[in-house]
Amino acid sequence: MNNAENFMQNKQLSEQAANQPVQPLQQLLTRPDIWQLASRQQQPRTGISTGYRGLDALLANHGWPRGASTELLVDKAGIGEITLILPALAEMTRQNRMVILINPPHIPYAPALAQAGVQLEKLLLLHPRGQRDQLWAAEQALQSGACGALVSWQGKDVLADKDLRRLQLAAREGDCLHFHFRPGSSANTPSPAALRLQLHSDGEQLALQLLKQLNGKSGQRLHLARNPDLTRRDQPLH
Amino acid sequence: MLWLCIQLPKLSLEALTRAHRAGDTAPLAVSQSNLIIEANSAANSHNIEPGISIATACAYCPGLQLLERDSEREAQLLQQLAHWAYGFTPVVSPRASSPENKALSEGPACLFLELGGSLKAQGGLAPLLQQLGKELHKMRISHQMGLGHSPSAAHLLCQLPEHRQWLEQTKVPPSPQQWKQWISFAPSKLLDCNNKAIAKLYACGIKRVSQLLAIPLSEVGSRFGRDFIDYLARLNGSRPDPVPSYQPPPEFHSELFFPSPLDNSEQLLFPAGRLVRELCRQLQRRQLYSPALYWVLDYGSRGTEEVKVELSRPLFDPQRLIALTKLQLERVELKEPVQALALKCKQLRPLETKALREDFFEEGSGQHESYQLIDKLKARLGHQALSGITLKESYLPEQAWSSADSLTLQSKPRGHQLHPINAPRPSWLLPRPDRIQQREHKLFYDGELQLLQGPERVDGYWWQHHRHARDYYIARGSQGSLYWVFQDLTSEDWFLHGVYS
Repeated sequence: MNNAENFMQNKQLSEQAANQPVQPLQQLLTRPDIWQLASRQQQPRTGISTGYRGLDALLANHGWPRGASTELLVDKAGIGEITLILPALAEMTRQNRMVILINPPHIPYAPALAQAGVQLEKLLLLHPRGQRDQLWAAEQALQSGACGALVSWQGKDVLADKDLRRLQLAAREGDCLHFHFRPGSSANTPSPAALRLQLHSDGEQLALQLLKQLNGKSGQRLHLARNPDLTRRDQPLH
Repeated sequence: MLWLCIQLPKLSLEALTRAHRAGDTAPLAVSQSNLIIEANSAANSHNIEPGISIATACAYCPGLQLLERDSEREAQLLQQLAHWAYGFTPVVSPRASSPENKALSEGPACLFLELGGSLKAQGGLAPLLQQLGKELHKMRISHQMGLGHSPSAAHLLCQLPEHRQWLEQTKVPPSPQQWKQWISFAPSKLLDCNNKAIAKLYACGIKRVSQLLAIPLSEVGSRFGRDFIDYLARLNGSRPDPVPSYQPPPEFHSELFFPSPLDNSEQLLFPAGRLVRELCRQLQRRQLYSPALYWVLDYGSRGTEEVKVELSRPLFDPQRLIALTKLQLERVELKEPVQALALKCKQLRPLETKALREDFFEEGSGQHESYQLIDKLKARLGHQALSGITLKESYLPEQAWSSADSLTLQSKPRGHQLHPINAPRPSWLLPRPDRIQQREHKLFYDGELQLLQGPERVDGYWWQHHRHARDYYIARGSQGSLYWVFQDLTSEDWFLHGVYS
């Protein structure tokens, strides 16, 4: 191959590159599930703020991952697990998007939710019967695009990996926050969720442990204090 | 004003024989009180004419099939035709064959249509008349048409052969002079008055309407009465000629019958689609909407089953309605093969401009998607599976909230807003307070409870059946959970009422 041929070929290549502004590698790098250490600092802030500065700092996108499932592994109710997600839910209702609770374990108490800033007319409770209907409703709501956040609780039946993946895909399609409460025992089984947090109580505070985080580090621990209005001790009782 | 009169001379026969195939040529006649009142063309060729007695008719044609006249079915068909005509013009008036007013003649049933307002929309007079004729022909309804400046004039002129001939060729509505000419030219037996009056007219030698009009009105009045004068004035156009206007009923009912019963709910979707499209066309035409669709599955002798599809907002898109119906029908187990499928909408409501406006401006805010989602969820889960929550004004914690209909969810917050109580409240409330065990002045609810705050006293409702006197505390369990507990002051028992989760 002489020089002229070589030159021609190079020119063709550069022309091709000019005609195709998006290169395959570039396309690959924009995928959310590929983690680039070098560009981490430049990533735009796309998460939805949790309302807790400490937690935001730990999370890859400075907030709850948008359009993805977040698993919250809780064994004991009452340690502040709903308080953790309430600021995000309130923000969603303020943005005029629906928040759906599927089969909540108890009655969501309207005065408390209103205190937290949730617009009650944007809150929808679903009580589907049976796991099939429950999954169907969750998937429909997640992918509809009308729903800002969906909170679901794992019932007696353990969800198959396939179902969790479908919910995760549906959340991405509808750009919806999906909070999924599961028992702490499921920490050992893998899950397609973008973020997994183990919650327990260390007596006074809510202790968080990041089990898994897409695009970010995991393994960190964080302690969040409960609302001082609740834990402040009054004068002797009894 | 431009009135069209469509006379339906063979309605009594057609009401009974519409289901027959077009090629049927058996001689048929409709009878009433021993007289033939209508006969088909095959019977006509055997010299059977309306007015002869049944005995004569049977003598002319031994193979004649006789049908008893069914006025109810006739009235039904007339209503259907009025409904059909309503698609062309909003002012339609059906007139039955035997009018209640005894002064009027007992002619065949007819429909009056006001065309003046819809000429432009339908592309002029000639295309409109052609379209009307074509559709009537397709429905196999024989008809005669007449145009007039008032319903009475149109009724008179539709019986005038010369006028009908002119109507077939005309492109523009006639001038007032032309009408006057036709009316005066018409024989007086075509006047819309009873036989007695007509016999009287002929006895006076008045054979044409022109002769009648030449006589001073007061003379005519003294002979034929006020009603007749009134009729002449309406015919002339010198007096308004009101006719009762047809109002389509505010409901929809349409049924499809399957010659071979369907045993699969998926097969029902195709006929369902047809019914839904029919409904949507009608709703759009009449600016109405239906808050719910009722599907009636007819199992023949095994009764019927009703399936309800609720809609949270006006919806005219057949595709979406079918999708919602599909969700419902999927849940239905067919007990028996379905013989007929009916779509009923019991109440159609007028579209409010407010509802439309909301739709129009909130397109971007995802309102549409939320409605779609709610409809879909309702269709599959049933409407009782959806609920919302609202605040209520009450001191009693369990009455400070209430379950809301999910329909009100999407509406804007009202002017008057309730504010929640300014004290820490738990995010979960137990449906009924759970009793806490009490031993040696200590409280146990999975582990020992430690009271952190309190008491907050809720006392009242003594005027009601049961007095509520409680001291509320915030307590911490052994594993760090925060609970909302209370001591009932009357029984001194402790209960768990909420969880600060």
